Amino acid sequence: MFNKTKQTKRIRKTDYPPTDYGRIFHPKAIAILGVSADENGVGFGTGMLRAIKMMGYEGKIYPVNPKGGMLSGLEIYRRVEDIPGPVDFAVIAVNARYVPESLEACLKIGVAGAEILSSGFSELGTEEGKELEQRIQHIAAQGIRVVGPNCFGIYCPASGLTLLPGPDLSRQTGPVAFVAQSGGMSIDFAHAGKWLGVRFSKMISFGNGADLREAELLRYLSDDPETRVISMYIEGIKDGERFFSELKAAASKKPLIVYKGGLSAAGARSVASHTASMGGSRVIWQSILRQAGAVQVNDTEEMAQANLAFAMLPPKAFRGISIVGGGGAIGVTACDTAETYGIEIPALPPDLQERIGSVLPKPGSSAINPIDVANPFVGPQALKEVLLGAAGDERIELQIIVSLLFHYKGLARAFGIPIAEVTPYKELTQCVRDVVDQTGKPVIAVLPNMTRGMESMDITELIALTRQEYLSHGIPVFDELHDAIRAIAHINNYYGGRKHEK
Amino acid sequence: MKNDKAIKIIGSTLNKGRQTLSEYESKQVLAAYGIPVTKEILVKDKDHLEKGIQKIGFPLVMKGCSADIAHKTEKGLIHVDIRSAREAKKAYGEIMAGMKGFDGAVLIQEMIKGRRELVVGLTRDPQFGPCVMFGLGGIFTEILRDVSFRRAPLEIRDAQEMMRDIKGHKILDAVRGMEAADEKRLVDMLINVGRIGLDIPEVSEIDLNPVIISGSKPVVVDALMILKNQG
Repeated sequence: MFNKTKQTKRIRKTDYPPTDYGRIFHPKAIAILGVSADENGVGFGTGMLRAIKMMGYEGKIYPVNPKGGMLSGLEIYRRVEDIPGPVDFAVIAVNARYVPESLEACLKIGVAGAEILSSGFSELGTEEGKELEQRIQHIAAQGIRVVGPNCFGIYCPASGLTLLPGPDLSRQTGPVAFVAQSGGMSIDFAHAGKWLGVRFSKMISFGNGADLREAELLRYLSDDPETRVISMYIEGIKDGERFFSELKAAASKKPLIVYKGGLSAAGARSVASHTASMGGSRVIWQSILRQAGAVQVNDTEEMAQANLAFAMLPPKAFRGISIVGGGGAIGVTACDTAETYGIEIPALPPDLQERIGSVLPKPGSSAINPIDVANPFVGPQALKEVLLGAAGDERIELQIIVSLLFHYKGLARAFGIPIAEVTPYKELTQCVRDVVDQTGKPVIAVLPNMTRGMESMDITELIALTRQEYLSHGIPVFDELHDAIRAIAHINNYYGGRKHEK
Repeated sequence: MKNDKAIKIIGSTLNKGRQTLSEYESKQVLAAYGIPVTKEILVKDKDHLEKGIQKIGFPLVMKGCSADIAHKTEKGLIHVDIRSAREAKKAYGEIMAGMKGFDGAVLIQEMIKGRRELVVGLTRDPQFGPCVMFGLGGIFTEILRDVSFRRAPLEIRDAQEMMRDIKGHKILDAVRGMEAADEKRLVDMLINVGRIGLDIPEVSEIDLNPVIISGSKPVVVDALMILKNQG
């Protein structure tokens, strides 16, 4: 009786033949199509060849260029068909016009998947570009999975696959998977993760997403044993219904952190009801992510911090925390921030206050919680006693230690020795590790740096060293107390620790 | 399972070439989905007024009812707290005069007492399809915009969470001598509004505003349903 409003379902590619993700992320042999025939080339193909070699990829690399010759000590094959051994994965960086035939050649020799770095497809908005992309989809559907086109590719520290143009990403593997359309966002996060301590299982920048894209990758990662935390940056999605169901399914299996970009321009649709006028894209996305059980972050820093926390802390909510630091203002800030995020900083019982107070300088210190150690030079052993003492309160489920290491610059100058020598950062990190081992309660380190000018590069270096030391001891590090508390709040929300005031 | 009664109402509206359901029609669709609405009778001529009054009982509310007229308050088409037949007749005359030129009738409606007004709604997101809204109602809907959304279909948990999501969620608690709102009934209401969106693609937007908490029970006091442009 009504006009047919239901559209015929978009024909969805089924997994036929089944996708061999193992060969895609951990290839034993790679073909790189579109390298330049001389050493000085700066194209994507040559760049990727160099980057993969510099990453120390251990498998075979087969460069391909119709001109043949040699490149970086490797023989260049004129045609994909000429490659003498099996190929698991292909990097395609040829001119857009030649991409379909290159992909087809890879399909024919049994390549499991390809990343297409070339641009010049649907992103141009031209008929030719769209048609080329449709051809890619058509070939992919015959049994070769495609990442891209118009992307920076796959990063997999375990195998040595890297994003363009990253020859210097970490080879340390870890629990975090990252998915994004944006190649720039991916390479930025890969670099930031390296020093922040976020270690990746795999990262996929899928560009135009002609074949593999958000929903299917979510499904794969939610079952991927190498991935414990999934994180994504989304601009647009293709199929809202499928995306939502994959989002919900993935979030029910592991922490799923989502940064949705492009929320500011609420589409001005012409609507008649209040409901529709208030349901702009920002509020709907927030609601959808909440409904799916995903962790929503609002910028790249918050995303990286949330990933660090989920990757390094035990999978549970932390309702009560202690904070140990210097300066009363830190304590006040801590309380204000914690309250905003529904986290408690309970006052310690008198016996623990006494125990903690006995190792702190007086007057000026406070052992209530937040614990004000009063002096930035309180030594690691005393801090260890403080942390052990505070952990004695069963309400405390996690501890934060804030170290204002930049103050050691004054000591360094007074004694005339480098700051890294006067600061007991190695002993400190070891003491914190001991506390975690003895109490079974995690500790987060916060290393604020108020001195970032040229004259303070030694402090910047000291803090980098301390961060590295902490990370190697399995202790997550944040720059600011607020960042740490917000990351804990994300964990609490995910693990159902959210408290609704009644 | 499709709801035949609701589909019939919407079908006949579309056949008349209209894109908006009147308050009365909207509430019939809601009632077909088990959503509690005000007891009401549509009176099209003065001779039936007496009967309508008897059915509803005083105090009552009289409203001009036409799919072509929005913003009834501003046009003086709502008369509340009517307590006698004399008042009712006067109101009837004024409402009919106010609707001159429109195809309308007068809705005689029980007067729902309650100080807490909520809004429940439905919109269609281009990506995610039908989404249900919950929030503070009445004049606060536009002023505070304290609302939350969930994509249909809603699970019980979704409905519970979206109610807690709004800043003013304490309005649902037992406050200032008022009973706590019946959460179960609100949950059902939210789930069922979502079902309308899923079942009937022709419905593009719904505003139930206000939904008044009467005692502990939520009742839809005013309703607007917009249909998709079929052109």
